[in-house]
Amino acid sequence: MNVTLCNDDGLYRAGGDLSAKWRVSRVPLDEVQGVEVSVLWHTEGKGDEDLHVHHFQRLAEQQLRRAGLADEQVLHCVLPATPLSYHGRLISLQWCVRLRLFLANGREIVAEQPFHLVSEEMVRPHSASTDRVPVALPKPSGVARGKGFEHAPAS
Amino acid sequence: MPRFPKPWSKKRGKRILGHALAGEAGELTFYAGLFLIGVFGFSLVLINEVAPESVSQVPTDALSTGLGTWIFGILSLASMITGGVTLLYRLARIGASSERRSAIAKMAGSIEMIGPAIDDVQGLPSVPKGSAITESPGERLTYRLAVEKANSGIAGPATLALLWSSAWLVLLAVVVSGFWNGQSRWYLAVLLVPFAMISVWSFRFFLNQFRQFAGIGPTIVEISSHPLIPGGQYDLFISQSGRLSLKRLTVLLTCEEETFYRQGTDVRVDRHEAIRQVIYKERNVAVDPQGPWEQQLQIDLPDNVMHSFVGTHNAIRWKVVVSGESQPWPSFCRSFPVVVHPPDLSLKHSPR
Repeated sequence: MNVTLCNDDGLYRAGGDLSAKWRVSRVPLDEVQGVEVSVLWHTEGKGDEDLHVHHFQRLAEQQLRRAGLADEQVLHCVLPATPLSYHGRLISLQWCVRLRLFLANGREIVAEQPFHLVSEEMVRPHSASTDRVPVALPKPSGVARGKGFEHAPAS
Repeated sequence: MPRFPKPWSKKRGKRILGHALAGEAGELTFYAGLFLIGVFGFSLVLINEVAPESVSQVPTDALSTGLGTWIFGILSLASMITGGVTLLYRLARIGASSERRSAIAKMAGSIEMIGPAIDDVQGLPSVPKGSAITESPGERLTYRLAVEKANSGIAGPATLALLWSSAWLVLLAVVVSGFWNGQSRWYLAVLLVPFAMISVWSFRFFLNQFRQFAGIGPTIVEISSHPLIPGGQYDLFISQSGRLSLKRLTVLLTCEEETFYRQGTDVRVDRHEAIRQVIYKERNVAVDPQGPWEQQLQIDLPDNVMHSFVGTHNAIRWKVVVSGESQPWPSFCRSFPVVVHPPDLSLKHSPR
């Protein structure tokens, strides 16, 4: 499974456009029940997870047959103004494009491509920030291939 | 040695102990059991009411009175409804991914009858609207900030002290009457000592709260503009009333991370101060009841700071904090929440 963002640095302006390409390869179409593509933010850290889907698309088996699983698919959406990406001590707020593949045997495979939603000022080059600034964005992974991990069947 | 699978899951920091599926299975079993117990109990009630003679095997002795039957019936019905509805809800959640559930919830929120979420109306999802903050116009500056509801009231300590003292006096009367009539109750007499200690503690706690309530006057905080924008400068007016001799008075602007998490059956809260900006700090401040202490200050909000954020379990809150160490009154700390928007997206309001 492969998710590629249109910006190499993974920085996206709040309210701006996001384009991504995704593809599922080396999985026979007969073994796939459906694919879900979503643009979402979720929290990580000490607290329970908050998750909010901004853009969601579900492709059933018939739609996948028409679209072609091995062909590159395109995703477009306009990002919201908030919440911006944040990495603090207790809370991290992370945006990502998540691809979830449902297999016929009940297994699920998930691939994620994280990105940073930042303000206009952060996209522009600016002066050095102070020590008190809580926004310390980690360097985006830069790998086109999302990390893949498997889940046990949900039911 | 093979471990017995636990029918629950638990979050420890960032780790989840136990399997999520085991937790779900445990919940499903519990609610299915609740539903079946309700069905069984309600069936007993129906049989007892409708055809008690025709089914001789049913033990109807316990349900023979009218009131008992109704109470048993209502409890069974409640158990049946709670178990059934929750079971269906949990089953519906199992088949869908977390993203799909979130998308369905978002779609339901956008239905016109239900109405869009408040934060979506202003175009800033997950940012608190802060309309309560801008409801009150100020006298010196544009807005008067509302104080965060203090968790220390005076009614609770007063009730505790009163009830505990009353209980102690009743116990004392029982012990004294026992001695008077020649029936000494030594175990009650011994219990009087720890009870008296608790009574004294509760009375002192009440007095402490009362002194704080009566001695420290209201704190007024006004701000020139709201919401705040990173990189902006804002005027702040502080007024402290009362009869106080403060050893130290501090005005802070803080950004606090707040997370809620479940640990077993408890819901715990953890907070971390990500930013602490001292706006004003002074020693030996005297506050006179005739003239409150007043000060005009300025906030310089740093660039590139995180905006206010509120999720279901996580939040980032900004607030102005006024704290004082006083003598003879207890120290106080009052918080005034403010909302910080991301840059370039400010919404201008004015009550004037």
